[in-house]
Amino acid sequence: MNQILTLAGVVWLEMIRRKDLYVLLILMTTLLAGLLSFDIFGLAGVAGYVKDMGLLSVWLLAWILAINTSVRQLPQEEQRGTLFPLLAKPVSRLTLILGKWLGAWSITGFALACLYLTLCLGVSLKGGRFDVMTLLQAVVLHAAALGLVCALGITLSTRMNRDAATVTTYVVTAAAFILLPRIPSMLVGVGGMMNTALYTLYYLFPHFELFDLRRRLVHDWGCAPWSTVTGILVYAVLLTMALLSLAWLGYRKRRFSRGDIL
Amino acid sequence: MIAPIDIQDLTVSFPGRTGIVQALQNLTLTVAPGTVYGFLGPNGAGKTTTLQVLLGFQEATSGTARLFGCPITHSIAREKIGYMSENPDTYPFLTGRELLTMAGRLFNLPSSVIQKRSTQLLEETGLSEAANQRIALYSRGMRQRICMAQALINDPELLILDEPTGGLDPLGRRDIRALIARRKAAGKTVFFSSHELSEVELACDRIAILSKGRLIAEGPVSTLVPPGESLERFFIKAVTP
Repeated sequence: MNQILTLAGVVWLEMIRRKDLYVLLILMTTLLAGLLSFDIFGLAGVAGYVKDMGLLSVWLLAWILAINTSVRQLPQEEQRGTLFPLLAKPVSRLTLILGKWLGAWSITGFALACLYLTLCLGVSLKGGRFDVMTLLQAVVLHAAALGLVCALGITLSTRMNRDAATVTTYVVTAAAFILLPRIPSMLVGVGGMMNTALYTLYYLFPHFELFDLRRRLVHDWGCAPWSTVTGILVYAVLLTMALLSLAWLGYRKRRFSRGDIL
Repeated sequence: MIAPIDIQDLTVSFPGRTGIVQALQNLTLTVAPGTVYGFLGPNGAGKTTTLQVLLGFQEATSGTARLFGCPITHSIAREKIGYMSENPDTYPFLTGRELLTMAGRLFNLPSSVIQKRSTQLLEETGLSEAANQRIALYSRGMRQRICMAQALINDPELLILDEPTGGLDPLGRRDIRALIARRKAAGKTVFFSSHELSEVELACDRIAILSKGRLIAEGPVSTLVPPGESLERFFIKAVTP
């Protein structure tokens, strides 16, 4: 565990010193400032509008950060040559994967907390507020979804180069988020191979829509049942473990060479 | 005593552009404790492949390799070793001290030991003043030295150096020679691959010469090289068909 935490710590130090987090927060603050300066629907609707657009921004920014952070971890180690002194230590490849995933996920989670905090401040400036328990559920589920995104990014980066893995992670996560919830309605009136293909896609890809409590927050619908939230968290943990296992399978026997192989 | 390196019948082959590449063929080699061992060969002889297998960067096709009696496929086998490559590859965003702390933690050393060893190694490598500076600001020579310090954080029983003097200026070479001498004096084993035959002649107790993936000569320098002949001459004769 000590090794995993050490590797995760290196990811944190890099992210903080690269100043990615500050850029993200400045972007969020600018977006919020823009939203706060609008008064499109009159005073009554403004807080809801800020909530809606602000939450969308939080989801987009956290999604971008999670993918960019996770996907670059392993290829960057190889490219920079730091992978070699690392593997020459008593560090297993599974430890390396877990450390990188934990680092990417925890820093993204930290950024997520900062983004939500900024949003809460922005919403309060317009006289609005979030229900605390619903907000807690939303943040926890959102963080779990980001863990899944990070695991997917790391898994793909063990099989592809960094650029290909980045694009594929963006496409897969966006497609899963946007298209998967529509598949049940698409299944009506579809038979044969198409039906099987749609079902396979439906069960194969992660269901990110399950983690999205934005509408509950915007419309003040109150908390989701805790049993449902727990169920979704179990789903996230199992899927993350499955993805990280796949990453390990792709990485454990991989040949790394520096310069001339001979 | 357990041999720090024990390689038996090691064969490595992999698909290349023009068919299967035989990088190593039935290599058998044992390095005794406390030896300074030079691993020589022309480009493409299989030196780097051997090091890569020993360090777990790639798997052997057949045969066995053990570090201190432990199969190299177990990460624990690398607990007693230190490794430094020709290129000073490291994390530019860390400070020198942070790099050493990270390396120490990866060896599961206690914090007090890491603190003590880091300070000592920073002093030995002349980087005490730059300890809290980011490595991105280090010169190549300083980076080479911090990598050296990192390889020594666990006071390894076996130090593996891959072309340690390649690309170094005379001062850098002197530092590496001094490092090897210090390790030898402390009874530790040093295994290094090199093209610099004069360095090898000065530092090594034993050498192995590899050519086209096969071991063609092995033994103490004084026994292998005939009197009045230089190692360079012997080497050229050995590897030239």
